[in-house]
Amino acid sequence: MRRVYLDNSATTPVDRRVIEAMLPYLTEKFGNASSVHFFGQEARAAVDRARREVAALINARPNEIVLLSGGTEANNLAIRGVAESNAQHGQHMITSAIEHSAVRGVCDALEARGWEVTRLPVYEDGVVRIEDVRAALRPDTVLVTVMLANNEIGTIQPIVEIGQLIQAERARGRKHLWLHTDAVQAAGRMVVNVENLNCDLLSLSAHKLNAPKGIGALFVRRSVRLTPQNVGGHQERERRAGTEAVGSIVAFGEAARLAREELDGRIAHLRTLRDRFEAGVTARISDIVFNGYREQRLPHLSNISFRFIEGEGLLINLDMQGVAVSTGSACSSGSLEPSPVIRALGRSDELARGSIRFSLGKDTTDEDITYVLEVLPRAVENLRRLSPLYQQAIAERTCVNA
Amino acid sequence: MTNPQSTIRNPQSAYSARFKEHLTNPRHAGALADANAVAECVNPICGDRLQLFLRIRDQRIEAAGFLAYGCPPTVACGSVLTEMLQGLTTDQAQRLTRREIIDALGGLPARKSHAAALAVETLHTALAKI
Repeated sequence: MRRVYLDNSATTPVDRRVIEAMLPYLTEKFGNASSVHFFGQEARAAVDRARREVAALINARPNEIVLLSGGTEANNLAIRGVAESNAQHGQHMITSAIEHSAVRGVCDALEARGWEVTRLPVYEDGVVRIEDVRAALRPDTVLVTVMLANNEIGTIQPIVEIGQLIQAERARGRKHLWLHTDAVQAAGRMVVNVENLNCDLLSLSAHKLNAPKGIGALFVRRSVRLTPQNVGGHQERERRAGTEAVGSIVAFGEAARLAREELDGRIAHLRTLRDRFEAGVTARISDIVFNGYREQRLPHLSNISFRFIEGEGLLINLDMQGVAVSTGSACSSGSLEPSPVIRALGRSDELARGSIRFSLGKDTTDEDITYVLEVLPRAVENLRRLSPLYQQAIAERTCVNA
Repeated sequence: MTNPQSTIRNPQSAYSARFKEHLTNPRHAGALADANAVAECVNPICGDRLQLFLRIRDQRIEAAGFLAYGCPPTVACGSVLTEMLQGLTTDQAQRLTRREIIDALGGLPARKSHAAALAVETLHTALAKI
């Protein structure tokens, strides 16, 4: 059976060039980067090279990159680290209603400890409004954390404008107000430049960039102080203790280099295939709703609600035919857990339940899309044939047309 | 050894091959035009919906059909239920349990057992209409 992987927002396959780059650091070049002997210095040099590549991907300085275990740790270090080092200046933070659970969970945890959290709406297009950020700012606000691009619908948030706003506030004397953005989904799929974004902290994950899982980075602008969350070692300039995962770091560096050098080609490839996919779905399947602002979103992602059916059923049907996708909604123990992101768009429970995320990768082919366009309409039709909601809609339409 | 957490994180891994077969090739799907006992039940919490159509003659179920909206177990339970009901007397049908439906599907994750409960409720509602 043909297998098509359209779940690249969940994770990506490791690029062969990345594997080749990292392998020596799992075998003969195995040193601890903190050791002073030859083996250690060889590892240290590799870590430094990789750090420069990660920094170059986002136009940062190498010493502004803290290497750590992934996006979740980066978000934890950014939010908790800033919160703890700025608590004496205020205990209010601003976030959006569509953050990844790695940000949402940290904000919830701080809220439980007495912090106040303002969650900004995103409206039907899935985009935060700069006026809402401005209105939410308070004298005791110390952190704004809004993702650069959403993981379910791909909408790109106005971080440039939010960054300008924060900078202007800082120029007016608010020295303890910081901007963090979760760029885990964005990096490698759009230009990410911390100087243009005006952000102070930015989270990255390597496994969304065709590198292995378990490695990521937090950009920390030089002026930002944050309380380390991992202590017990001097690594990463005292910001994250723990022996460096040299092989994974080398892989991350190579993946970052490839992403930077191949970015334009990847974006064009992804957009061409994604647009062909969406045009094909529109032509073949009725009663669908695209989720999120389609003009300003990541090029690899398409989120579609299929009316009258439920996402998990469609996911399993597609999986049985070799197509891997994902849904943000789940029904568990008789309680409905529609995707918070789709719900934040103001969609009904039915549309939230019927939403599916298709996320393409740099290795997705035209033939893959052709195959998905062949099996998807059939899977939707099979589930709709069973759906009382669909039968009812058909009957009502027949009545109207009669 | 099965890691209990893995079934929680990945709902698909909790579904049996028989379950997936019912989901992709549902039996007796669709409304029965000559049904004489029809019921629809909705889980008010999650919105799962099951419609059951029975053609009953001389206290025996001659044919059954179903329509379903909701999570995959709702569809699979509807499918397996209509298969189990063929040829049963109404008394036998009345005694069908949630456990028997779950077993016929090769098991269901505990958090999805409400779908089998909905199937039994819909069956009882239909039988009460005769």
